Formats: sequence, structure tokens, C-alpha cells
Amino acid sequence: MADVLSVGVNLEAFAQAISAIQALRSSVSRVFDCLKDGMRNKETLEGREKAFIAHFQDNLHSVNRDLNELERLSNLVGKPSENHPLHNSGLLSLDPVQDKTPLYSQLLQAYKWSNKLQYHAGLASGLLNQQSLKRSANQMGVSAKRRPKAQPTTLVLPPQYVDDVISRIDRMFPEMSIHLSRPNGTSAMLLVTLGKVLKVIVVMRSLFIDRTIVKGYSESVHTEDGKLDIWSKSNYQVFQKVTDHATTALLHYQLPQMPDVVVRSFMTWLRSYIKLFQAPCQRCGKFLQDGLPPTWRDFRTLEAFHDTCRQ
Amino acid sequence: MPCLEGAGVVGSSLPCVSQMPVAEGKSVQQTVELLTRKLEMLGAEKQGTFCVDCETYHTAASTLGSQGQAGKLMYVMHNSEYPLSCFALFENGPCLTADSNFDVLMVKLKGFFQSAKASKIETRGTRYQYCDFLVKVGTVTMGPSARGISVEVEYGPCVVASDCWSLLLEFLQSFLGSHTPGAPAVFGNRHDAVYGSADTMVQYMELFNKIRKQQQVPVAGIR
Repeated sequence: MADVLSVGVNLEAFAQAISAIQALRSSVSRVFDCLKDGMRNKETLEGREKAFIAHFQDNLHSVNRDLNELERLSNLVGKPSENHPLHNSGLLSLDPVQDKTPLYSQLLQAYKWSNKLQYHAGLASGLLNQQSLKRSANQMGVSAKRRPKAQPTTLVLPPQYVDDVISRIDRMFPEMSIHLSRPNGTSAMLLVTLGKVLKVIVVMRSLFIDRTIVKGYSESVHTEDGKLDIWSKSNYQVFQKVTDHATTALLHYQLPQMPDVVVRSFMTWLRSYIKLFQAPCQRCGKFLQDGLPPTWRDFRTLEAFHDTCRQ
Repeated sequence: MPCLEGAGVVGSSLPCVSQMPVAEGKSVQQTVELLTRKLEMLGAEKQGTFCVDCETYHTAASTLGSQGQAGKLMYVMHNSEYPLSCFALFENGPCLTADSNFDVLMVKLKGFFQSAKASKIETRGTRYQYCDFLVKVGTVTMGPSARGISVEVEYGPCVVASDCWSLLLEFLQSFLGSHTPGAPAVFGNRHDAVYGSADTMVQYMELFNKIRKQQQVPVAGIR
């Protein structure tokens, strides 16, 4: 817990604020006690009422005083530092019941594990590329000179670099427009609109694609409060199928050292869906199979197939 | 045997009207049952009922200019798919999508638009859902008599009409057999425009007009 309280917090004011809270609590309970006890026995009805009202007012004033004191102290306390390593999920560390729900420590371990895995995979791919299986002379050496040097730790890329890559891809295809936003921390969320056919929400982690959701052009991609809705599925079966295929695609296109190539290939594959309703299946020649158009696009040739017709 | 008027409405609707010669000894009711049974065999699920109705108004004589221009016909339609709306359209003109209080407004406009007698035509039937297709098979009635059958097929995911015509055609063929209609005129002129409810109502209006013009066929005739 020591990392939560840092220089910005005034510890004395903090302690005073805690006792102010206790004072406020007791004055509030005094108010309710007074109400519970009711009017005390006096000679006349008027006298009883007056005494009761006076007592009640006193209690309310003390509540008011304590509340103002608390507000003043809370302004002095200051905010704890916002530099959690995991942004909002760092607030999980404030959960007192660590034995039953050790979420935060497990989360940290999971992130450390995946970072280490990424690092080892990078090292391994570097070593393996030296012993190439291809016999052609035209190897990675040529293309490595043309491409910009790959970042050593591709998991922690500056957001500006990600923005640049995405805007370059946006300009590649006229019928596909990509809109980038960062509503939840540093991971980019892309809203890809393909012609008037469909909309895709792509959730990224630096330059790696994490999840995609495909929805129809007429469906809403925002929640009621206007934020990007990254969880709800499409209402139409055809787009639910395309979402499954897109998830398969992002698992298929993998290149740990050159993530921008991966994103480019994924977008090229996605663009082939512009003719989702117009292209017949290359294998059976028909448009519909169980009520669905050809939703599968081959990863190499981008030809359209029904899900049941693909080789 | 009355001739079958098939109206396909598709797209975010598409209606296509086609003449379907009926086999011997079948009535409108039986043909509707045949169609619904074919749909159920395909795997469609029943999902409630629907109703589309249409009333005709013509411009009152008092508002016609001295040139003696012909009065225009205005159609006021309702569709149970859009329960809070009312549609008003001229034959070749614009289609207005209004609130359901429009009916009350028409009453107030009695001086300008008069209701044509016995002109109310409507179609009622059941809705079926098959994958992403919504099929509505209804009997078209004018007054007490059944005049034909309307079939509407709606493919939800696609919003541009010209994109999915081939897809729709294939689906229509799977349960209408050889009676599948040709592409409707509405598709031709608006290639990339997003389809809307107004286009549906235009198609229904054309279908109703066609059925109205058609004479009641004598029992023994087949077209």
C-alpha cells in the first residue's frame, strides 16, 4: 500500500480528516437519537415542542459544522498519485480481502509472464532467422534494409508510432476508413468502416491486435452514454460468423518482429469483405448455404467461400 | 382459380410483383398454406403477425386550378413493422414518413383531400424468421374478398439494395420455386443509396395498385 500514498498526500490532514469523519458520524447518530427519543415531558405542549425543535436544530447545526470541517480537511489531503502501473486495474490493489480475491497479484503476474514470453519469443525468432530454411538468396536481409528498424521491445511502443502506422493504413484503401481513439488508457481502439457493408471494432495492445467485433453498417457501435461498445455482439448471424472468422484471422497473421506488417495484412484481408453480399462461393457457386452468404475469406488468395465449403 | 399475385418485398425490403399461375383446384387460402409449409420445411420459425394497409385520397375538386388539372391520388399507409409511423405518398412523388397522429390530421384536411370510397386495401399474415431473413406471407384483401397474396422478404444485414439482389433471388427461388419475380424498379435508380422504410411502402403501394387494377378473374380462367 505504500506505493499508493506518495508525495502528494498530507498525512496529518489525512489523520485529522479521519477523526472529522468520526465526529460527523456521531453527530448524525445524535440527530437520529433525538428523533427517536421524541419530545421530553414538559408542562405545556408548546414547551415540549419548543424544546424538541431547539434540540433538533442544535444537532443539525453540529452536523453541518462537522461536514464543513470534513470538506476543508479533504481539500488539504490531496490526491494520491495516479501512476499505477496498470492504470485503472491498479485500483484493485485497494481491495482489503486479499486471500479470497487475489486479483491484483494474479493480474501483475499474468502481465509479467506475457511480457517475458514476448521477450523470449523475440530472442528466439532472431536466433532462428539466422538459420533460414529457405534456399533463395533473396532473404530477409533485403527487406530488413527497406523497412524501418524493428523496435526492440515491440510491446511498449510510443502511442505516436501506433497513430502513424494506423493513419498510413487508413490512407491505403479508399473504401475503408479507420478511426482511432483511446478511451481506456493507452490501448488503441479502432473503428473500421468498410463501405456500407460493415463496421469493425478492433481492440489493440500497442501494435498487436487483441480482439475484434464485427457489426452491420446499420447497427449501433456506441453504448447509451456515447462510448464505444466493445462487448456486445451483432444481432445478425452473418456478422457473428464474420466475427469468428476475424478472430481466426488475427491469430493466423502473426509476426512478432514486424507488427505493422501484421496489421496491414489483417486490414487487407478485412477489406475483401466489401463484397460480402455480392460474391458467390468459389467452391459451390451458390450465394446461400444455410441462409448465410460466403463468409470465409481465404488467408492467401482472399477468395470467398462458405464456412462449410472451405478446403 | 384466381391468379396469384406474388409480391416480394425485400431488401430492407424489396417487393417484386409477379404473376403466378395457380394450379388447378387451389384457392388463395390453400396457396398461402402451401407457401408457409414450404417455409417451415426450410427451417423458418413463426414470429407473430403483420399487417400493411392502404387508403386512397384524391384532391378535392375545389382545390383544382382553373386549368382543370387532374386530381392527384394520395395514399396513406400503415405498416405493423413501424407501429408508431404513418406513411403518405403520391404515385410518382415523394413519400412522407410521419407520426401516427397524421391520421387525425387527414380528418382535419377533409376540405383538400377526400377519401375515395371503398378503397381500403390491406394485407395480413404471419411473419417467419429464417437465419437473417424475415419473410412475411399475407393475404391481400379488398373489403371482404381476398384478391391475392403478398410475400415480403427482408434481409436485415444489408442496407444497400443493389448489393444483395442475387442473394435474395436465390433465397426466393428456394421456396417460391419457378415463380420468382424480376428485380423491382426501385433498385435500378438508386444504386448505392441506403434502403429505408419509405422504399418499402412505395413497393407495397405499387403492388396494391396492380392488384386493384386487376379484374376479379372468373373461376375457370387461368392466365
